Amino acid sequence: MNRTAPSSATLDYRSDTYRDAYSRINAIVLEGEREAHANYLALAEMLPDHAEALKKLAAMENRHFKGFQSCARNLEVTPDDPFARAYFEQLDGNFQQAAAEGDITTCMVIQALIIECFAIAAYNVYIPVADAFARKVTEGVVKDEYTHLNFGQQWLKEHFVTVREGIERANAQNLPLVWRMLNAVEADTEVLQMDKEAIVEDFMIAYGEALGDIGFSMREVMKMSARGLASAPRQ
Amino acid sequence: MFGLIGHLTNLSHAQRVARDLGYDEYASHDLEFWCMAPPQAVDEITITSVTGQVIHGQYVESCFLPEMLAQGRFKTAMRKILNAMALVQKRGIDITALGGFSSIIFENFSLDKLLNVRDITLDIQRFTTGNTHTAYILCQQVEQGAVRYGIDLAKATVAVVGATGDIGSAVCRWLTDRAGIHELLLVARDAERLDRLQQELGTGRILPVEEALPKADIVVWVASMNQGMAIDPAGLRTPCLLIDGGYPKNMAGALQRPGIHILDGGMVEHSLDIDWQIMSFLNVPNPARQFFACFAESMLLEFEGLHFNFSWGRNHITVEKMAQIGSLSKKHGFWPLLEPSQRSGKLVHG
Repeated sequence: MNRTAPSSATLDYRSDTYRDAYSRINAIVLEGEREAHANYLALAEMLPDHAEALKKLAAMENRHFKGFQSCARNLEVTPDDPFARAYFEQLDGNFQQAAAEGDITTCMVIQALIIECFAIAAYNVYIPVADAFARKVTEGVVKDEYTHLNFGQQWLKEHFVTVREGIERANAQNLPLVWRMLNAVEADTEVLQMDKEAIVEDFMIAYGEALGDIGFSMREVMKMSARGLASAPRQ
Repeated sequence: MFGLIGHLTNLSHAQRVARDLGYDEYASHDLEFWCMAPPQAVDEITITSVTGQVIHGQYVESCFLPEMLAQGRFKTAMRKILNAMALVQKRGIDITALGGFSSIIFENFSLDKLLNVRDITLDIQRFTTGNTHTAYILCQQVEQGAVRYGIDLAKATVAVVGATGDIGSAVCRWLTDRAGIHELLLVARDAERLDRLQQELGTGRILPVEEALPKADIVVWVASMNQGMAIDPAGLRTPCLLIDGGYPKNMAGALQRPGIHILDGGMVEHSLDIDWQIMSFLNVPNPARQFFACFAESMLLEFEGLHFNFSWGRNHITVEKMAQIGSLSKKHGFWPLLEPSQRSGKLVHG
């Protein structure tokens, strides 16, 4: 959320503490972008009519991946890839299972709604506290992410009558995972001065807007976007 | 289209309203949850002027709660209001009033550096604090309340508690210029600001609150919650007109004594019923007609097509602007609330 004056003056990006936390956060970002790339390619297989657009999105995610790799190199950080893979394991497992079953709705909800909204929220909160190099990269990425969100949103909106229940099911299954994932890195996001509260609120705003546009009522949106939030276990 | 950004009195009030509205997810959770909850457009409003003109608006609940300020969570408080502002802007609302603490927050923080909210750049021209109308209505409550409760303004001493705030200083300007009162007592915490105000006004006696109150025939209380204090009713004059423009409005419950007349300060009554649901959750005697003058300011600006930030920043309110919004207020059928307060202290403030 680019709304507070950058507090980078108080952050030592080269400190061991910062770089240690960054090794996990950056790895998560990379893994997220890598999976997004793969997920959009999987969706392209499932939706041949949209294959071209989805492949473009996948290519965009690949560029993001490379951009964030350069952010790690800039701070001389080695991303903790095993940590990131374990971090995404359950969410990715749910996507893979849905893809294997041809469940496009669940795939769209996981990738194009939940992951994209979460990425947008986290990137927006990160930008004001990022180092100058990463800030520039992330600002460029955020602009792209909105287009990804739009694609999934549009598809789900067009098929709302038939996918409505599927969205609700996918939401109930996967949103609580996201809260748990966020709680799991709370200590690291604090080191990066990323406000967890702001990430959650930004996520709920972006996700709520998307659900509202897709066709859910305000009451349903409030219920769905808060699903599992209060009961998510803390680390 | 006009907008109102509001908030509720405290966590338990917010939980009760959420329950009444059927939002169980919000009703059962604690402050931590409300700190993360996004703003919601919860009501649509239709209001008719006495001129016959009809306008429409939306009420946005910011999910801000005063406990956030009390606990020093300023970033959270600010984020709530900025997100609510981004929401109304995204919905294409032309002019929006910031109710209660929403505007107080911006009197105390620099907004200029905070205008970018995600992919939205806030256009502050679309927002008004509503403070000019609130100040005007408070002054009308002084003038008309004095007549109603048998106080001769020409002989009256008026104490303004919270005199250096945006609303308080505007009230002082009006009372000095237009009301013809005998003496003005200035009460506030910041001595430097008090001196500046006194110089600007060219009049007014600076006194601590405990000395000012026993001398006052009329008290205009516009201090914020932190400055709240127990008022000893035995030490007040008889009659005494107390205009409770503070937050929350809780004087009526605490100061029951014959000869003390308490008005809900900064509140208006509309001549016609307003079509809205949200006000029924707030503790006002006649929710179809009575509400906060700051909210009414955005309606007045919408009626007149004046889509700009009529009230903004701190201490910019002139007597001329108060007179201007006052004439629009009368034109469209708003009146200052003059009935004695019956509340026990549970509402949003405007």
